[in-house]
Amino acid sequence: MKKIININFQGRVIPIEETAYEALKTYVESLRRYFHNEDGRDEIINDIESRIAELFSERLKRGSACITDEDVNAVIASIGRPEDFEEQDADTSSASSGAANAGNTSGSTGNTGRGSGPTGGSSAGYQQQPNYGTGRGRLVRNADDKIIAGVCSGLANNLRIDPAIMRILFVLFLGITFWIYIILWIVVPVQSVKTNITKRLYRDPEHRVVAGVCGGLAAYFNTELWIPRLIFGLPLLISIVNGAFRGPWFNFHYFPGFLTGSLVTTLILVYIVLWIVLPEATTTSERLEMRGEKIDLNTIRDTVKEDLLGVKERAEKFGTEIKDAAQNIGSRASTMGQQAGQRAQALGAEAIPAARRGGSGLGNAIGVLFKIFFFFIAGCFIVGLLGGLVTLFAGAFAVMPFKDYLLEGPWQSLLAWSSLILFLGVPIVAIIVWIIRRIAGAKSRNHYIGYTFGALWIIGLFCFIALGIAIKRNFDYPGRIHQDFSLSQPATGKLIVRVANSTTHYYGAWWGGKWGPFGFNEDSLLVKNVRVKVEKSEDSNYHVSSIRASNGSSIRQAEELARALSFQINQQDSTLYLSNGFSLPSGQKFRNQGVLVTIQVPIGKRFLVDRSVNRRYYWFMMNGISRDNWDWDWDNNDNESYRYETGVEYTMTAGGLERVDGKDKRHRNRYNGDDYNDDDNDDRSRNKSNNDHYRYKELKDSMGEKDKEKIKERLREEMKIKDSINREKRLKEVIKTSSVSTNSKQTLTNNDDDMPNNHLIISPVLIFARL
Amino acid sequence: MNIENTQSQMRKGILEFCILSVIRRGEAYPSDIVEEMKAANLNILEGTLYPLLTRLKNADMLTYRWVESNSGPPRKYFSLTEKGLGFYNELETTWNELANAVNTLAKKTESLPDTTNQNPSF
Repeated sequence: MKKIININFQGRVIPIEETAYEALKTYVESLRRYFHNEDGRDEIINDIESRIAELFSERLKRGSACITDEDVNAVIASIGRPEDFEEQDADTSSASSGAANAGNTSGSTGNTGRGSGPTGGSSAGYQQQPNYGTGRGRLVRNADDKIIAGVCSGLANNLRIDPAIMRILFVLFLGITFWIYIILWIVVPVQSVKTNITKRLYRDPEHRVVAGVCGGLAAYFNTELWIPRLIFGLPLLISIVNGAFRGPWFNFHYFPGFLTGSLVTTLILVYIVLWIVLPEATTTSERLEMRGEKIDLNTIRDTVKEDLLGVKERAEKFGTEIKDAAQNIGSRASTMGQQAGQRAQALGAEAIPAARRGGSGLGNAIGVLFKIFFFFIAGCFIVGLLGGLVTLFAGAFAVMPFKDYLLEGPWQSLLAWSSLILFLGVPIVAIIVWIIRRIAGAKSRNHYIGYTFGALWIIGLFCFIALGIAIKRNFDYPGRIHQDFSLSQPATGKLIVRVANSTTHYYGAWWGGKWGPFGFNEDSLLVKNVRVKVEKSEDSNYHVSSIRASNGSSIRQAEELARALSFQINQQDSTLYLSNGFSLPSGQKFRNQGVLVTIQVPIGKRFLVDRSVNRRYYWFMMNGISRDNWDWDWDNNDNESYRYETGVEYTMTAGGLERVDGKDKRHRNRYNGDDYNDDDNDDRSRNKSNNDHYRYKELKDSMGEKDKEKIKERLREEMKIKDSINREKRLKEVIKTSSVSTNSKQTLTNNDDDMPNNHLIISPVLIFARL
Repeated sequence: MNIENTQSQMRKGILEFCILSVIRRGEAYPSDIVEEMKAANLNILEGTLYPLLTRLKNADMLTYRWVESNSGPPRKYFSLTEKGLGFYNELETTWNELANAVNTLAKKTESLPDTTNQNPSF
């Protein structure tokens, strides 16, 4: 019992069964699709519909009450299905020739006869070729079926294989094929090609042991099922056997190594990759594609019939208890079958003429994998870039209190702000916007946003450069002011240098904590760019002097700034108290000011530089800014005057500094690890403070003396752990060089005054040797 | 090489000519054209015919008129235009030449002359 509806078809009212109507609608849709690009499309459709209406009228006239399914099928047979149409144009010829005919339906006039391809049902593996089968056509990139650039798809099209396989190959041999891909991308033109692939690689869910990969492969290559299984399974078996036998019999090497080792892993990897990447052939059309059978009504109908059969059998097997379920399945299957049939009709109509599966996400899963790879790299890069920019941006804000000290005048301020916003801010915003657009899938041909951002960024770049130049000009000229400090000679014959505790509270958390080079107050900037230099005195008196230095945009300005530095030196008995730093009130500009305190110690007298000097001061003279030629001996690495350790008492001798406790020799012997007599905990404390400084190692442009010391100390600390090894090595080294040194006692004790500067070279070498 | 492909290509080449030759004999309507061709042992689907007719009509080879029918919707009756007639004549000439050539070649049975001992001509 079927429902009948009335339709208005070509101006006539026609009673038609509902199912027949559905079929008719589908057919007309398929025609519409087929003639989509045709010039006289509407006219053609109209003509055909007229013809259909005429045929219907005849039927009705002959006494039928309504149009039935058979009538519709007959009409369709008469007019023909789109895939059977012969087209005149050469490039759309893939539709004709070779379509299996609807020989099953009741024949009537207009059946295609000879010349329209093989009769009968499916022909497995039959591939259509637009040319005569010999020429492969031009190599083009496929504009429709592309994951990245359509190279694999175009290549596969050319070679008549599944793009999925091509993509797998490309990924497998990525090293070589990467460059091939790039070259092809550039060289090969892109074009919208009708893919004539009727066979795609899928996983076969019907023949699965693990994941159906072998099944899919077997279907694609038209081999038996066991062949791919064997290929995948045999090396695995062999390796298992090999492993099993290798245990008890150590001489079991019957199987070649590559078979048991890498081949298995490769195959397993390939299997897993295929498992992930290949889609399951679930829909009927996909299953047909997998086997390479032509998709049209008949093959689909056969396949669906098989399915229904299989379902029915399985249902019956379950016995009476599941009879209801079986009935349900049966009825559902039949409706599903009908729907599948109708859907298949639609598919059949459109599959071959428009046999492009571009954009069907499943089939391009491999390409997706490839895409993922690229996007991962690109994503990491972008995330890193974004992170860096954001950090710089935030860092710029952190430097904000410093800004007033650095920049001069409204122009520089403006430049700073604009370069900040444009140079840093714009890329950040642009990247975020781009990410959001990609996620939201917004596509626009409008590139104005990109151009605007780009232009703004370039402006920002220019601002940044201008800012840099402007700032640099402020530092062009150096000036220094020398000042003596009248000192009363300490009675004890020992001068202690110490940093005074400051009562003002400075906060400087942003650049390395309290030990950083700067501290901030509400109204001033504290700079701790101070250095203490110890020299031999000409006479028998202590002398203390200070050099205040600064840069500026002219020598006079530099000297003015230097003069404006206020750095206090106080003496209390035999202790010299140095200021915690010097502060720049908020009106003054930071121009790389620094203070060098020179202490001249007469021979025979002692001095002690307190540890606070190391801890409180942060020496960071910016090199490369002062370009004149005075002997700026801040960076004089070999200058003895900086080679003291804080917290250690020294005696000034004719030959230089000497430790009072005689541990001087350790100065030179950093590579030796036996610091047994560390009784004043020098190393530990020094290392602690040095570790703080280590964080700012990057900030220092010049390898100042202190850096070298810190490296030495660090090395020494490391050496402590492995002193015995080093000792051995050292002994060997020394024995080798013992020919040079005559004093054997000297070589055995690690007391090498003869090698003052080589240890710096040797110690890293020894470290690497140790490694 | 695919035989069906070649055969189909052969057919496609002459379809227009055949259609025009049917219409040349008088006004015809698509169903009639199909019948005529079937009688001449050349089977063609209506779905193939309609687009061809439309193309020819758009190229001014054909013209049509509507004829009311009592059994069904009105029908289009096609007839040749002047241009169409000229087109047809040219095609006929071409076809005759082609048929001649093909027949001549296909009918020959004697073997080709042996060229191995001849001097190559430059």
